[in-house]
Amino acid sequence: MKMIANRLLELVLFLLVLSFISFAFMKLAPGDPVRYMLNIDDVAVSEERIEELREELGFNEPIIVQYGLWLVRFFQFDLGISYMTQQPVTQELAEKLPATLILTFCSVVIMTLISVPVGSLSALYKNKMIDQVSRLFALIGASVPSFWLGLLLIQWFSVKLGWLPSMGSDSILHLILPSVTLGVAMAAVYVRLLRSSLLESLNQDFVISAKARGLSSFRIFWFHALRHSMVPVITIFGVSLGSLLGGTVIIEVLFSYPGIGKLVVDAIVRRDYPVIQGYILFMGLFVAVINILVDLSYRYLDPEIRLKEGGST
Amino acid sequence: MRKKRLGFVLSAALALTACSSEGASNEKRGNAEEKEITFLSNFPSETLDPHLNYTAVRAGINETLVKINEDLELEPWLAEKWETKDNGQTWTFTIRENVTFQNGDKLDAEAVKRSLQRNIGVSEAMKTALKIKEIKADKQKLTIVTQEPLPHLPSELVHPNTAILDVDEKDTGKKPVGTGPFEPVGFSAGSKLELKRYDGYWDGKAKLDHAVFTFNEDANARTLALQSGDADIVYRPAIESIESLKADNSIKTDVVPSLRTHLLMYNNVNPVFKDKHVRKAFDYLIDRKETADSIMAGQADTADGPFLSDFPFTPEYEKKEYSLEKAKEHFDHAGYEMKDGNLVKEGKPLSLKILTYAYRPELPLIAQMLQSEAKQLGIQIEIQQVENIDEYIAKKDDWDLATYSLITSPRGDASYFLNSAYMEGGAINPGKIDNSELTDRISRLNATLEEEKRNELAEEAVSIIDQERLHSFIVHPNNFAAYNEKVKNWKLSKSEYYILTKDVDVIQP
Repeated sequence: MKMIANRLLELVLFLLVLSFISFAFMKLAPGDPVRYMLNIDDVAVSEERIEELREELGFNEPIIVQYGLWLVRFFQFDLGISYMTQQPVTQELAEKLPATLILTFCSVVIMTLISVPVGSLSALYKNKMIDQVSRLFALIGASVPSFWLGLLLIQWFSVKLGWLPSMGSDSILHLILPSVTLGVAMAAVYVRLLRSSLLESLNQDFVISAKARGLSSFRIFWFHALRHSMVPVITIFGVSLGSLLGGTVIIEVLFSYPGIGKLVVDAIVRRDYPVIQGYILFMGLFVAVINILVDLSYRYLDPEIRLKEGGST
Repeated sequence: MRKKRLGFVLSAALALTACSSEGASNEKRGNAEEKEITFLSNFPSETLDPHLNYTAVRAGINETLVKINEDLELEPWLAEKWETKDNGQTWTFTIRENVTFQNGDKLDAEAVKRSLQRNIGVSEAMKTALKIKEIKADKQKLTIVTQEPLPHLPSELVHPNTAILDVDEKDTGKKPVGTGPFEPVGFSAGSKLELKRYDGYWDGKAKLDHAVFTFNEDANARTLALQSGDADIVYRPAIESIESLKADNSIKTDVVPSLRTHLLMYNNVNPVFKDKHVRKAFDYLIDRKETADSIMAGQADTADGPFLSDFPFTPEYEKKEYSLEKAKEHFDHAGYEMKDGNLVKEGKPLSLKILTYAYRPELPLIAQMLQSEAKQLGIQIEIQQVENIDEYIAKKDDWDLATYSLITSPRGDASYFLNSAYMEGGAINPGKIDNSELTDRISRLNATLEEEKRNELAEEAVSIIDQERLHSFIVHPNNFAAYNEKVKNWKLSKSEYYILTKDVDVIQP
């Protein structure tokens, strides 16, 4: 209980620091939302009007004052209004986030479906043909840019075979190509990670002891070695989840998938500060929560951790 | 046993897939009698609010009071006619009778007034452009009083963000209610817009029953969507796919020069560019044909001036050519000489900085081409790629040249470009161009109402820009679209404001 309370306190502090750093960086980075708001490439505008609007919107105030005002609104659960759509940022993000989470979830499922069997077989048949093939797969998977893999999949499954739609999000069929594109790229890394982790586990004392106790190889592998090997894999997964969510942007653009990544890219181009700030906070919160869950999962996956923690509390 | 279990799982998966596929084809069969078309463009759309985004006008949901036709002339749309007094400060628009919004409400001057009031309330750009002081409505008569004489107000009302919207309807971001031939039935921001025909459309029922607008910013993905049949009309497919698309008998292509112009800016803060001969010399260093053919892969027309020749205010431009010899002659006139492989004046070698930006990938290549040509004459050019060109050139003076791109006459009138790019304090006059003769013409244009006289003044202004080489205009990129052969009565518009019209049709297989 105390651990959870501590973690929550850490989370609040983390979000405050994150929000200040992202706010400051955003304001210091080049880009002027006022020029976009005034459509200077479409409407006759004078520099005087640009300055006037900047003043009206409070963009000339010191960063700390602007941040303070933002923070006051944030504590009232108000992330501001998007310059692009004039809609509340919370609404914009809440509409887009589920689609990205679904895509990420499906990609993780594909990644697991590939990496667990292939990684396990590579470890069980170390340096045999299957291990060599999985090594080649990992090398290719890690080297091929995901947008190119996506284009290849569209070319084959949409243009040539006509089996799957090339873009959109209307049905479960629309999720297959983007999920496979992301899942394959991720699996390449996790196959090797799981293999090395498994090889290490298979040489541990508890595996030898289990063998000595006469447990079946199937049981030893699935219930002891594989479970133990998941600790480093899940750690890496928790840490890399942020980049995974960020990495969906390219795939969302390629497959015209209405996720949060596309929204934030447009927001960055148009310097829609409230949306960018809201996105960073949402993602920060999400990644932090996942990492807490990852920490908690160690207790389940590795009895040693559970016993140690049980003894100390 | 295990094999059996695996077999069962595989069969279940196959059955599920089969069900989904069957569902999709049933849906298609069910709609076989209805005419539908899918557009795929690169214009991102996070909202359908016509006062913030162009999509509602492009998709035929909302309409403006005035429109621009393919001859680049203004024509009445929701406004039947208009007249002015007070030298363009008081305008009276007669709103078309028998027009209804898609919810059945009648369009009258009061509805237009409330739409325009909302427009300037949510869009700082439109508030700045329209300069509205007061609006009065009386049945079908709408009177707009502007803060200052605004002779080009009808042209500003072509802007898609001035589209007329029923402001009583709430969900304008997802389901705006307009007067166009199509109404939205579903919108997924940034991804897809579904439309159905509005049967009460004032200009006759649309030929299509349904239409879908999808968005994808990746050119290769757009090309593949056309080839796979996921889209019927695709805007700007990948340039490298043009030849293969043209060779495909089931696909048609349409190319029109756009209203956009790529240009080279000279920073007049640097005394070097106050000399007309230096500007002319640089103009001769630009190989426009090579730019259009190689850098733009043939998808551009060379530009001798800011505007396409179709406009009534476009003068006979001086013929532009690429010539190192002539460039050298102008540098000689400007007092430069060659010394130790460098072009020098008063002992100082000519060394310059050119700004460019990656958003339009051809612009850095144009900068590189100029750098290479200049080197042959002993001029050192340093290329700096910046992320945000507008902000950089507005705030800093440490640049000498800049590649730039903009739509010079988006609404059939020259005043936007002339005022923004050549008047003191204009938002796109970072090079501090200050030519008294030109300022005089633009000031007179701003105070002139009569169209013929306005065209004359604009033509004179453009001639001065041309003769003085205040900018060097390089190419007009083409608008390019490819579409399925079953599509009928569809044409790529120069302005790109009108994509889905009531006339677009499709031949049923």
